[in-house]
Amino acid sequence: MAENNNHQDRQLLIDLQHISRVYQVGIEQVFALRDINLKIYKNEYVAIMGPSGSGKSTLMNIIGCLDTPTGGVYYLKGINISELDDNELAEIRNKEIGFVFQMFNLLPRANALKNVELPLIYAGVPKQVRLERALNALKAVGLANRINHKPNELSGGQKQKVAIARALVTNPSIILADEPTGNLDSKSGEDIMKIFHKLWLEGNTILLVTHERDIALHAQRIVRLRDGLIESDEINHQRVMFEEVNE
Amino acid sequence: MKILAEIEESIRISAESIWANKLRAFLATLGVVIGISFVVLMGWAISGLDKALQDSINLIGEDVLYIDKWDWSGGKRWQEIRNRKEITYQQAKQLISELTLPEVAVPLASVWNAQVKANNNVYSGLSIAGTSADFGRIPSGDVEKGRFFSQADERETRPVAVLGYKVAKTIFAEEDPIGKEIKIAGRKFEVIGVVKRQGTLLMDFIDNRIYIPIGNFLQIFGGEFRRSISIGIKAGNIDRMDEVREEARGLMRAIRNLKPWEEDDFSINETKAFKEIVSTFRLYVWGIGIGMTILSFVVGIIGIMNIMFVSVAERTKEIGIRKSVGAKNRSILFQFIVESAFLCFAGAMTSVVLCSILVFAVAKILPNFVPETAFLQPFLPADFVFYATIVAIFVGILAGFLPALRASRVDPIESLRYE
Repeated sequence: MAENNNHQDRQLLIDLQHISRVYQVGIEQVFALRDINLKIYKNEYVAIMGPSGSGKSTLMNIIGCLDTPTGGVYYLKGINISELDDNELAEIRNKEIGFVFQMFNLLPRANALKNVELPLIYAGVPKQVRLERALNALKAVGLANRINHKPNELSGGQKQKVAIARALVTNPSIILADEPTGNLDSKSGEDIMKIFHKLWLEGNTILLVTHERDIALHAQRIVRLRDGLIESDEINHQRVMFEEVNE
Repeated sequence: MKILAEIEESIRISAESIWANKLRAFLATLGVVIGISFVVLMGWAISGLDKALQDSINLIGEDVLYIDKWDWSGGKRWQEIRNRKEITYQQAKQLISELTLPEVAVPLASVWNAQVKANNNVYSGLSIAGTSADFGRIPSGDVEKGRFFSQADERETRPVAVLGYKVAKTIFAEEDPIGKEIKIAGRKFEVIGVVKRQGTLLMDFIDNRIYIPIGNFLQIFGGEFRRSISIGIKAGNIDRMDEVREEARGLMRAIRNLKPWEEDDFSINETKAFKEIVSTFRLYVWGIGIGMTILSFVVGIIGIMNIMFVSVAERTKEIGIRKSVGAKNRSILFQFIVESAFLCFAGAMTSVVLCSILVFAVAKILPNFVPETAFLQPFLPADFVFYATIVAIFVGILAGFLPALRASRVDPIESLRYE
């Protein structure tokens, strides 16, 4: 495994130890993940790559606390996630995780502002503060002029920006992006990658799940999965950097 | 704060989702709308009935009792009552003269369905009552025009008549009846007064009566008059009812020669009897109303539950999104229960609006054609609207619970994949 020497003095966010995930399909057991050991530190930009069926979605669901492993232990900021119940997981997702999905997953009847506000409602943030933070998050992705638009009035790229704003609004420990450019044209895709780059520069931790090499090349570190195991975990030496990030 | 924000969010979402599926929501709440309408209309009917009852009580007078062969409450055996001896005019006169406590006591003899001639026309279906001048002193004898007949009229058996409100309207329409002549069984009577309109739901016959002095009455009907005479007694004060009743009972038993061990062979009727009749009637209204209400609420619950299951299925993805950003199971449960309650609340409001229009129209228009319904009020009873709304919300919570439970248990991973 490729280890970065700087890790020692950085905060350990995610610590997966011997994680496995087994699905029972009829009488057969399907191993989605076999034995995953992975550490992610604060302000890392990691891409998880792998062909379909390699277990990357399952891994993302476990890291995102949508799913719990059947074996092994998962610590998120020192909390043992494997032991939490549904409601505690929901709280962790609310506080620590920001999701960005391939299909955007916005509420169709709510406008951009309401969509971004949503996590704050479940966090119990007072209305005034909620509005302010949602507006700031939308500004941060360059959508301040689209706050009253509903998802069907926005382009794909804009929808994804709203989704990013929603992921950002709670100041999560980690932003989990699952094929964030998978449904976008290359121009919009590049815009989105620029935003991730900027967020990384601002100190956010980003975990990118993709099967596209071009996209993965934006990350600092690339983890490759195959058949539920980590095939490689190395520093990305061909990293694509954006020279100017001005939104 | 947190719970408030979630309630607000839930109501906003429900309003949006109801608005997005207006027709569907309306059809789904139809059962509830009908149920609420039953409750509200039932309350309306009962409050009208109460008013009608109060009108009748006021008309007779709460401190008035009637000694009669017949029993108003209907509680006794009909056969037994039929076999009672008639109360004769002699007995009535004796009782009236011996009573000391009441303010007024009057005999009242009546025939139903008598024929009256006036203006060269024959009118049937009217009733003739023979009574004394003192009848003018009880509420039923209040005159609107002219005067009630006097002691002197009575003593000298002058042919004078006082008309009930409806009789005057029927015979004389817009003409002034005072001083006009009518013929009862071929004898001429001069109209000297008209009694105030008193008709109520329970006693509409009273406006169809013609009052004449009892002496004249007996001259006309005496020969074949075999019916019992009743005695109206006005205590003068509701507190003195018990004393007056006991005095009357004692005297009447003596007059009727009853042995101490024999039961009364007459009834002492009071307005209380009306209350009993109305309370039975009210019970029927309630029984039917509640039966219908429960039935339509059952249908309503099924309708709402069904539509909520559909709504949960349609919004599986939304549930997944909410869960992924941190909605707990109970937040989702809560959201769908609020939605269901809100749906029913909207149904309740629809029904209140519809019923208000209906009730207003009925109360304003119907009495023009059926005057007996004048007791109906053109507005809904506020307390019933309140209870109905509470019940609707409760029904919503009940109907929404299972669908909401299913929603809360949706697996976020599955639902995010859902298209």
